[in-house]
Amino acid sequence: MPIFSIARNEFARLFFSRHGWLAIIALGLIWAVFLNYVIRPAAQYLSSPDLGIFLEAILGRIGSSALSNWQSTEMALYWVFALYLLPFFTMISAADQIASDKTRGTMRFLVLRASRTQIFLGRFIGQYCIQLLIILFTLLSVLALIAFNAPENISTALAEAPVVCANLALVLLPYVALMALVSVLSSSARQATLFAIVGWIVLWFLLGYVQGRFGPFPILDWVLPGSQLGSLVRLSGWDTLNLAPIPLLHTVVLLALGWFAMRRCDL
Amino acid sequence: MSIINTQGLSKHYGSVKALDALDLSLEAGEPIALIGPNGAGKTTLLSLLCGFIRPSAGAAQVLGENVGSRALSGKLSALPQDAHLDPRFSVQRQLGLFARLQGMKSSDAKREVQRVLDTVQLTDSASKKPGELSHGMRKRVSLAQALIGKPELILLDEPTAGIDPPNVKIIRDLVRNESKNATFIISSHNLDELEKLCGSVVYLSEGKLVEYGPIEATSDDGFLTVRLPSVPEEQFIRECRKLSGVLDVQRQAQGDYLIKQTEGHAVDQALLSLLAKNGWRYRHLIKGRSLEERLYG
Repeated sequence: MPIFSIARNEFARLFFSRHGWLAIIALGLIWAVFLNYVIRPAAQYLSSPDLGIFLEAILGRIGSSALSNWQSTEMALYWVFALYLLPFFTMISAADQIASDKTRGTMRFLVLRASRTQIFLGRFIGQYCIQLLIILFTLLSVLALIAFNAPENISTALAEAPVVCANLALVLLPYVALMALVSVLSSSARQATLFAIVGWIVLWFLLGYVQGRFGPFPILDWVLPGSQLGSLVRLSGWDTLNLAPIPLLHTVVLLALGWFAMRRCDL
Repeated sequence: MSIINTQGLSKHYGSVKALDALDLSLEAGEPIALIGPNGAGKTTLLSLLCGFIRPSAGAAQVLGENVGSRALSGKLSALPQDAHLDPRFSVQRQLGLFARLQGMKSSDAKREVQRVLDTVQLTDSASKKPGELSHGMRKRVSLAQALIGKPELILLDEPTAGIDPPNVKIIRDLVRNESKNATFIISSHNLDELEKLCGSVVYLSEGKLVEYGPIEATSDDGFLTVRLPSVPEEQFIRECRKLSGVLDVQRQAQGDYLIKQTEGHAVDQALLSLLAKNGWRYRHLIKGRSLEERLYG
């Protein structure tokens, strides 16, 4: 099946190229720094009243209440940070689904052998699987940290891990779809990331203006990818999946737009 | 068998008509030359046939299937102009992916990649990345991808543009050999090259079809073209005009002389005698005019 060959090739694009390994090493280093200098000390000293106030200042009321919802402090911190940081990483790492191949002309070689739909969906599936690997990697690293620093919490953390994993997998889904769409419309990965960020900000301002001027329209609160994050971060346990339809709906809409753009674009 | 059919095929870029209501039917067989000046619509036509771009109007069928049909996978292939392989991966890996996308199993794909690289004489470069190859070698690799799975129809857009003579010869020999198994449509500005390779010619100008027919037109019987690298020009023209049946002699580019003759006269025999008598060596003698002379002369 061409769609799976193309999806599998996304892994080759990551693991069999210098560029891919640089991205992996960069993520590993950034995450190691984050783990060592943010999650570990924050979890250790969270009980200190001064640091509790400090963390509340950083995370705001939302983050602070989120921390109290989870039994494992490290997992709670990971939950809050991953919800907001991983989508940004996705917007960078999944940016080159179509763009550079289209500009270079490599896409022409592929189009002779697979339909545009197969290429578009194959690349999306491949990139999404890579994001799942990133979630697993970061989650396992946090579990390893807990096992090392607070072994008494590991069973609780292991019980909470599937909820966190499932939610992050849902949260990243529309972001991969968003990058699939903007990648079709861009000529390079960098441009795709720029388009996605600028487009997101412009839409956010626009929706705010419409709400303020003509609103309120509650449905507009859910238009942007990631719009459920504010609500999601307050939840814990499997209740978090109550918000799952939102990222799924975002994904379907963004994929439909991307597929339409892919079918119509000149190669 | 008709390999390409177009009905009113058009492509417009704003007010520019890159291809204008083209009706064309091409038959399988000897390689077909696709020629025309810059902007004539050659690359646009090939891009439309491959499904790289969408027509503004009209329709086209390739090998009996609508353009873009999945049934064409493995039957139609192309060497697109200005298309490059991914510089990050080896030639072998990329061609292997193409072969698998055409439905081959991994082991078959590996064998097929070896076969096509052997065909373009680049087996040693299988593990190299495109950036490590010369321009001519990269072009041959691109040609190798077009041969994967032994397609029935291969479209080549400027296959020898900007390539050194040794690589040009390899590509020319390859097309000549492979044309026993597939029909080639070759777009090029090198008319000498096309004359050597092709059996028929499609001539486009300003997006319209000007001519489609055999490369050696029967209407050309009244001409001889002889290439003489080093003869005294004035003396040759003077002597040649004296031959029975010769109406006119004109010097063309590259040492070619165009001889206009009365039909029915065996001027070629007399011409060869004249050359032998004076010790003048000739490179080639063509009945008729060169393609360049016929189209642009």
